[in-house]
Amino acid sequence: MTSNVFHDIRNNLAVAISSIEAFREGILEPSPARLGVVLHALNEIDVLLRKIPREVPASGAPANDLAEH
Amino acid sequence: MVEVLEGYLRDEGFGVVCAHDGPGAVEAFREHLPDIVVLDLNLPGFPGTEVLRQIRALRDVPIIMLTARVNEVDRVVGLELGADDYVGKPFSPREVVARVKSVLRRGERAEAPPPVGERRVGGLMIDPSSHDVRLEGKSVTLTPTQFRILEVLSANVGQTLTREQLLQRVSADGDVYDRTLDRHIANLRARIEPDPANPRYVLTVFGVGYKMVDPT
Repeated sequence: MTSNVFHDIRNNLAVAISSIEAFREGILEPSPARLGVVLHALNEIDVLLRKIPREVPASGAPANDLAEH
Repeated sequence: MVEVLEGYLRDEGFGVVCAHDGPGAVEAFREHLPDIVVLDLNLPGFPGTEVLRQIRALRDVPIIMLTARVNEVDRVVGLELGADDYVGKPFSPREVVARVKSVLRRGERAEAPPPVGERRVGGLMIDPSSHDVRLEGKSVTLTPTQFRILEVLSANVGQTLTREQLLQRVSADGDVYDRTLDRHIANLRARIEPDPANPRYVLTVFGVGYKMVDPT
């Protein structure tokens, strides 16, 4: 289940980060619709983070079921 | 995401055609035949790898992949499928623009015709068309075989050529033999090296062959 969570988080992060960078650099106008896209991506990340088991090993042996795919 | 990258690429003066799914991407490619493709592997419709395959089947064009799958297998698979580069997500859009430019530059170099004019390595000037060689501006006289060796080595500066490769490329009609190659190299060094005992241009790679370097 968690195999694609990180993948999906990165996809949404990519949307949020690159959009905000484009706003900051004046490449795109931060219109309500575009801000909505960023907000949606951030909300998705929130949802995805909840899917990750709460007890993640702090360090050392990585949890194999969390391995990236 | 498409809109962001489109904005950045247009800002840099590129003409951009966008597609929002796999089939649309292949269709747009067919119609516009772009110089480079930036392909997100995370696509609705059908997988990005399938788009990659179909585009490759149509035309040999540089492809940069955007992927959130950062493990090694995906990188290798992506590059094996014929992508020229990839950018891992999340990324800065500037990074994508930089990769686009770098891949296009690489393409220009690869397509450039082999140099017919003169070639410069440090203080050496080699003109393949006139067989003219100058060291620090002074003319150097070489035998045809020495010139051929220098020509091959200088076309591959920094790259080690094995004895076999050198022999093969130098001796069109088999008139240079393994044993005499070292002799030819020594004679070549005597003419182009400021100090033949400590060569700076034509270096021996022990057990392998020779390579030419730019000493400057």
